[in-house]
Amino acid sequence: MSGSKQRMREKKLSKQPASVQYTPPPPPPSSSSCPSTPLNGSQGSGTPMPGHSSSTHDASPGGPSDQGGWVRGHQKDGGDYRVDFPKYITATPFTMARAMEIQAMLKAVTKAAGSCHVFGAIPKHMRRRAMSHNTKRLPRRLREVANRMREKGLKAGGKKEQPKSKSRKARRRHGNLLLEFNRRQRKNMWLETHIWHAKRFHVLKKWGYCLGDRPTSKCYRACHRAMSNHCLLQDLSYYCCIELQGEEDKLLACLSRLTSKETGPTFAAVLALSGRRQGGATLYRAGQYPSQPLGPVTFLWRPRTSGSSHRQLWLWAHPTLKQDLLPELQSVCQCSEPIIPVVPPVAMPVQPAPTPSPGPRKADRIPGAKRKRSARDEDGPPEKKIVGDGTRPPSAPVSWTSASTGILITDLTLEIVRYRLIGPQSHAVLTEALEAATQCDAMSNAMTTPLWWPDHCKDQAKMTLHWQQAEVFETFKGVCSTGEVPSGTVLGLNVEDPRLALPQKRTKALSDVTADQAPGGWFEYTSGSVLLGSLCLVMQMCQVRILVEPYADKTRELMLKGVPEHCCQSSLWDHFVRDNVTDNRLSEQEINRMKREVLVPGSRLSPTPLQSRVPVLLVHQPGKQVGQEMGSWGAGWDLLLPKGWGMAFWVPLVYRGVRIGGLKMAIKHSQGQGAPHFPHDYPDCPAGVRFQEEQEAELLNKFKRRPPAKRTNYIKHGCLAPFSCPWQQLAEEWELIVGEAAEAGHGAELGVRTDAQEVTSQGECSATVAQSGFSVLRNRKSLRLLSAWCRPTTSKGQRSLRARDQAAPLDAASQAAFLTTHVRALAWVRLSLLTKGKPELHAQVCVATQEDLRRLADKEADFGGPLEHPHKDRFKSRVKRRKKTSKKTQTSSTAPPTSKASDPDAADLARASATGSPDPTPASSVAERGQTPVSASAATPQGPPSSDLVLGLWPDPLPSVTAHCSRVTLGWVTQGDFSLSAGCGEALGLVSLEGLVHTLMAQPAEQRGLVLLRNPSALHYRLAKLNVEV
Amino acid sequence: MSEARSPGSTAALLPQTPPAGGPAAGPGGPPSAEMDPVEYTLRKRLPRKLPKRRNDVYVNMKTDFRAQLARCQKLLEGSGGGHREICVHGLGLAINRAINIALQLQAGSQGALQLAANTSTVELVDDLEPDDPDEAGEPMTRTRNNSAIHIKVYYPDPQ
Repeated sequence: MSGSKQRMREKKLSKQPASVQYTPPPPPPSSSSCPSTPLNGSQGSGTPMPGHSSSTHDASPGGPSDQGGWVRGHQKDGGDYRVDFPKYITATPFTMARAMEIQAMLKAVTKAAGSCHVFGAIPKHMRRRAMSHNTKRLPRRLREVANRMREKGLKAGGKKEQPKSKSRKARRRHGNLLLEFNRRQRKNMWLETHIWHAKRFHVLKKWGYCLGDRPTSKCYRACHRAMSNHCLLQDLSYYCCIELQGEEDKLLACLSRLTSKETGPTFAAVLALSGRRQGGATLYRAGQYPSQPLGPVTFLWRPRTSGSSHRQLWLWAHPTLKQDLLPELQSVCQCSEPIIPVVPPVAMPVQPAPTPSPGPRKADRIPGAKRKRSARDEDGPPEKKIVGDGTRPPSAPVSWTSASTGILITDLTLEIVRYRLIGPQSHAVLTEALEAATQCDAMSNAMTTPLWWPDHCKDQAKMTLHWQQAEVFETFKGVCSTGEVPSGTVLGLNVEDPRLALPQKRTKALSDVTADQAPGGWFEYTSGSVLLGSLCLVMQMCQVRILVEPYADKTRELMLKGVPEHCCQSSLWDHFVRDNVTDNRLSEQEINRMKREVLVPGSRLSPTPLQSRVPVLLVHQPGKQVGQEMGSWGAGWDLLLPKGWGMAFWVPLVYRGVRIGGLKMAIKHSQGQGAPHFPHDYPDCPAGVRFQEEQEAELLNKFKRRPPAKRTNYIKHGCLAPFSCPWQQLAEEWELIVGEAAEAGHGAELGVRTDAQEVTSQGECSATVAQSGFSVLRNRKSLRLLSAWCRPTTSKGQRSLRARDQAAPLDAASQAAFLTTHVRALAWVRLSLLTKGKPELHAQVCVATQEDLRRLADKEADFGGPLEHPHKDRFKSRVKRRKKTSKKTQTSSTAPPTSKASDPDAADLARASATGSPDPTPASSVAERGQTPVSASAATPQGPPSSDLVLGLWPDPLPSVTAHCSRVTLGWVTQGDFSLSAGCGEALGLVSLEGLVHTLMAQPAEQRGLVLLRNPSALHYRLAKLNVEV
Repeated sequence: MSEARSPGSTAALLPQTPPAGGPAAGPGGPPSAEMDPVEYTLRKRLPRKLPKRRNDVYVNMKTDFRAQLARCQKLLEGSGGGHREICVHGLGLAINRAINIALQLQAGSQGALQLAANTSTVELVDDLEPDDPDEAGEPMTRTRNNSAIHIKVYYPDPQ
């Protein structure tokens, strides 16, 4: 009998009378044993027979109720049916015994057994859904009981009778709905497009926001196609903007402490400083480069205004980075005096406090106003939609200033909406959805309004700038692909409300460059066909003349020089204008009313209402910048808007045929670009560390949710850390390995000369050991060198067409010099698989042995890569034992001593780590030595804490990560998937720099950069080409 | 397309002389003779994208030759669209291959197909990004020209 059956039976019998055995009080000497037993035995009821009690139920020293009772059917081991009938029966005890039995039977019959539901009383085919809470569905005779039962259940369950909620109609009423929405976004902020996303996306609560992760519809491939052929839209408003204002030189002086020139352009890059381009940089804690990185930011300088050195700078950072970045910025700029935002001071964004909207809106509302609303207005100000940051208490400071440096830091989180359009047609989508603002007519010019646009129109200089910007925007129509524009170009613009010209149907915007407009190019037909053999030279000459004739001069200028500096200015930088635009937005209702009144349905609304001009900024995003192939893949534009206008621009963009992506697509985007994604791929940044911890917990939970028999046993797969990567341990182990190898090499070959190097490296080591940890290599020069050593190739391992001469050939000296400057570093690499296979998260990158490379070079048929021998799970028995003991402690309260169990386990563990690699390669045998301290620590008699032990996972102190398998581990993959653009499996990950250089040294020149890749739940290694892309 | 479709970034020793085939005096910067060769990273932009009809075939050097040939054949056959004419385009290094494809098509058709070739010049844009952006000054752009061929492969009108 299985456990559940047993339990069922126990439950059923718990309410039955315990025993019906009749013990005759005065047993006559002759008939003491005979009379009742045989008969009872034949009925199978009275006598407790040892065979009948189930064999599995061993832990039952319980009462007779457990053992007695009826067991259905013929029992195998209970086959001793007595056949010897008694010779005589004494009447009185016999009848009394029967009477007792009858009594018990009656009692059992009257009492409801087993489940106390009344539904059991009716046959299955008469049962109906929802009977439990609508008792009228039951037959009448059972209703009363059911009612009673229900009341009892409600009381016992402790469920409160829920207060009757309002009717759906009341709940959906606008004001109440807003209240509800505002309540729901107190904790996790909503973006302005949240409701749109909530209807179509799986929404995650992440980083204090509710963000769309992936669409509910199946569109992974469609989104990828959109990214590479048309346009993919993503709401990036959750990125935090931090504004810095102050004198240029002071700002630069402060900020230069956070960056290093070695990692690429900094805040002071000429083009970025002029405001013409967006810049990007990796920030470090002040003066701490190359250790203690914070994370990447993009930044935008406001173009200089003539005759003033006061500058404005926006830093865009990921929300997890902001909490580290903001204090660092404050300390660097010495901005410690918060400005309390009670009085709206200068440079203070208006709080999303529930203030009623100013005049013009109310006045407009009158014709459509309803009785109810006006009634509510009397009670108090209507509940207002939260625009901007709803989680912040209104009195929390958002700006900090400094007396000494005069720098003002403002937190503009959610003050500016940022949409990202990715794909070669994103400029076409923009040019179709947006149009430059028209000038106000003279009449409205004369009036004084609280709106910004009429004022703007009065200023002649501003208007000429506006027309110039509009002209530049027009030239976008002549551009064929977004990648043709210089990367990072910025364009300021004032546009009309895109809702005014919303198409009736969803259309697909395409750039309308026709053959005659794209003449630099490529082709133009002459009507007369010229045979290949008889190419007419004259004809050719004149054709070349035609063809080289530059396409529209302006487009060409845009492509070569980008947008002129003065056109990068925008009113979006001005917070007064921003607030004004936000407050005076026409409501959706208003727009719809206007649409209704238009004579031709679906035509454009005109004249443009005064409120409908919005300042925006367009920022070009360069696509793939690194590597040899797929150049500028994923290029696009970012659209920056004042807050409150999110949906007004979102829907018109969607109507231009873009696809919408979520967080998942953002990861795929960065994967296609070969760029690390924050915070996933920054394990050395505090935000990255936090992310890894969260991810580990999440993955572990997911793992534990599976039934134990269906879980992957990662120990058997030789995967030490399937859920998180021990980068620190990896870097340390490789340091040891390389150190030992170097010592051996030096001892044999060189001797004296390298001692100096040795000493310096030792010095370096001791210097860096103090600050524990590892760093990711971001020095561009070193990366370039490394890239040359790896032999740049394209995906699928094809060698690039032009092999450049290496700057410094890879030899022992250059290697040593390289490694002394970068101790315990990791390198960001791209891996493309040579054969089939799809890399997954946390796949191992391993060193290929000579044997593997030889087999690959021999072109052995169907050699897809070596296999790892299945490991033995030495913890399994331990987990089982623990399970048993815990059960015992549950049943009998005496706890067995756990130390007894753990002693042999510790021995097991030590053996496991000692024989971690069944087939040690030359390299791993070196690694073996490095592993000893680790394994020693693992084999301490304490053992891991008992709660950690999960079947299939290594308990905490891991053995040597490098030498655990038959191939030596170099690093792990952080993003991996089948790449739809390259047509093979591609992965991005980090490897130990020491390990990588060491491996490259050992490999023959023509096979340099080949490594093995193995998924955490697989035993098959796949060959992959490793590229370092700069 | 051609190898220029796959631009790369490499730490480049820039050629001191402008590449053959076109003037290198891009409007973006001073002539190339002045620049310090080590301090710049060369990054090539994509050639201008062109409108693409169904019967346009842009030949590149990365895809297998046979695959590209098969694609053209399919376009001309009834099953793959049954176009009366297709255009094979090649840029730079891929010119050779484009011609090869066109001739193979003609040879395979027993004389039914005819060819008409045109050549043109394509302007390409290179970005020169200074490695040390704070001091070396602005990034520059440079234009250069490359040759292209457009071969019309068609069935002549029966007259």
